[in-house]
Amino acid sequence: MKNRIALLVIFCGLMFSCISASAQCDSIATACAKRNLEPSFISDGQQYRALLVNADETAEFHVTFYGGTIYRLAACSGMTDGNLIFTIYDSQRNVLFTNGQYQNAPYWDFTIKSTVDCIIDAQLNPTTNAGSGCAVILIGFKQL
Amino acid sequence: MLFKGILQMKKKSFLALICSVVVTALLLGGCKNSGQNNDKTLQTAAPKVDSNNATLLRINNQIFSIPSPIQTALLVKKSGYAYNKSILNPSDNYAKYDTKYKKALNLGLYGADLGYISLYDQTQDALLYLASIEKLATDVGVADMFNAGLVKRFQQNMGKQDSLLSMVSEAFTRSDAYFKDNKQNDISSLVLVGGWVESLYFAVQASTNAQANPKDVIRRIAEQKISLVNLVKMLQPYKDRPEYAKLIKDLTDLSSIFDDVTFAYNYIPPTVDVKNKMTSINSTSEVKMADDVRKQISDKIVALRNQIAG
Repeated sequence: MKNRIALLVIFCGLMFSCISASAQCDSIATACAKRNLEPSFISDGQQYRALLVNADETAEFHVTFYGGTIYRLAACSGMTDGNLIFTIYDSQRNVLFTNGQYQNAPYWDFTIKSTVDCIIDAQLNPTTNAGSGCAVILIGFKQL
Repeated sequence: MLFKGILQMKKKSFLALICSVVVTALLLGGCKNSGQNNDKTLQTAAPKVDSNNATLLRINNQIFSIPSPIQTALLVKKSGYAYNKSILNPSDNYAKYDTKYKKALNLGLYGADLGYISLYDQTQDALLYLASIEKLATDVGVADMFNAGLVKRFQQNMGKQDSLLSMVSEAFTRSDAYFKDNKQNDISSLVLVGGWVESLYFAVQASTNAQANPKDVIRRIAEQKISLVNLVKMLQPYKDRPEYAKLIKDLTDLSSIFDDVTFAYNYIPPTVDVKNKMTSINSTSEVKMADDVRKQISDKIVALRNQIAG
């Protein structure tokens, strides 16, 4: 009987963790969009999220930036700014930008002259994140 | 007897412990992988991240981002093409879509259509398409994202193009998040595929229309080569379902035509304007697509889009 109760408690606890992690990501994404994506930027229609266990983990995604466009990248983890470090590479692994050089700025704009395929890496800021966190990246765009 | 009883108790405790471990492992795995892709092909296809052996995660089941259909529609308009309602999927077609698969794909089609309509300030058409979207969204479980409140806000902002586009994008962004939160990445993928196919259909229609300069639009078609590869990878986890298998085959066939499109990339260091938090990406890229390849791509896209729209 005790074992069954223990099992139930573990099950419920883990279910709650999953749900609360999802809810946490939702809240971060909403707040991130409000704080960092101006209305003049149109969302690309997707939210990029990852649960990072610690600051050593890297979330990665590939994106094509089209020529003749201004993009805004907003990067958040937690409800305050500066918790996520992101770096943009081109297909040859040249670093095009990292917010780590600019106080982990929560957003940055990019003017794209010619279409370029990029890889974006995101990591939790080790100085402000002792444990895990939800990393959220949002992309908005407008024409040049 | 007592010894047997103790043994049974231990067996039960041991079983309970094993069950706990298994359930815990499954849940932790499920939790961590929530929204991530389980497809082995995708995992092996992903490149290494960096030199310090950081653990690689994939964001929200999207190793790759799919371009917004609105972006292509914007380019079509910028290139001088007038509004053409005949290229849209008729708004009353929604009644024909009788499976969740078809509804999700056509939700994507209609989303791209609504973006296109909003760009040209076509109030009446926008309301018609919004109504069709509302019906399909209800059927695939995202009614809240396209409810009466959105319709009302849409009506209040008619003529304000930026506001309308933001509303369309936000509604689809929230739907995408909902699908992924609820482990419906299959539905999310179909909506994205639908939007992508429809936007490319706009581009193809524009490229064959002599009323404006098609150069940029043709280039944008060619630039979809990588997005198409990404779309196919995104659908791979569902390849065992017959409808998805057919879609994957169609997209793979299209991708094989795109193999003849070539790119040349030239890295040029970016310049940074710290005060305005702006970086100019100065690298250049050239894309080459022969006319016969363009024709094959166009024909294939038209066939695929019409097959989806029904």
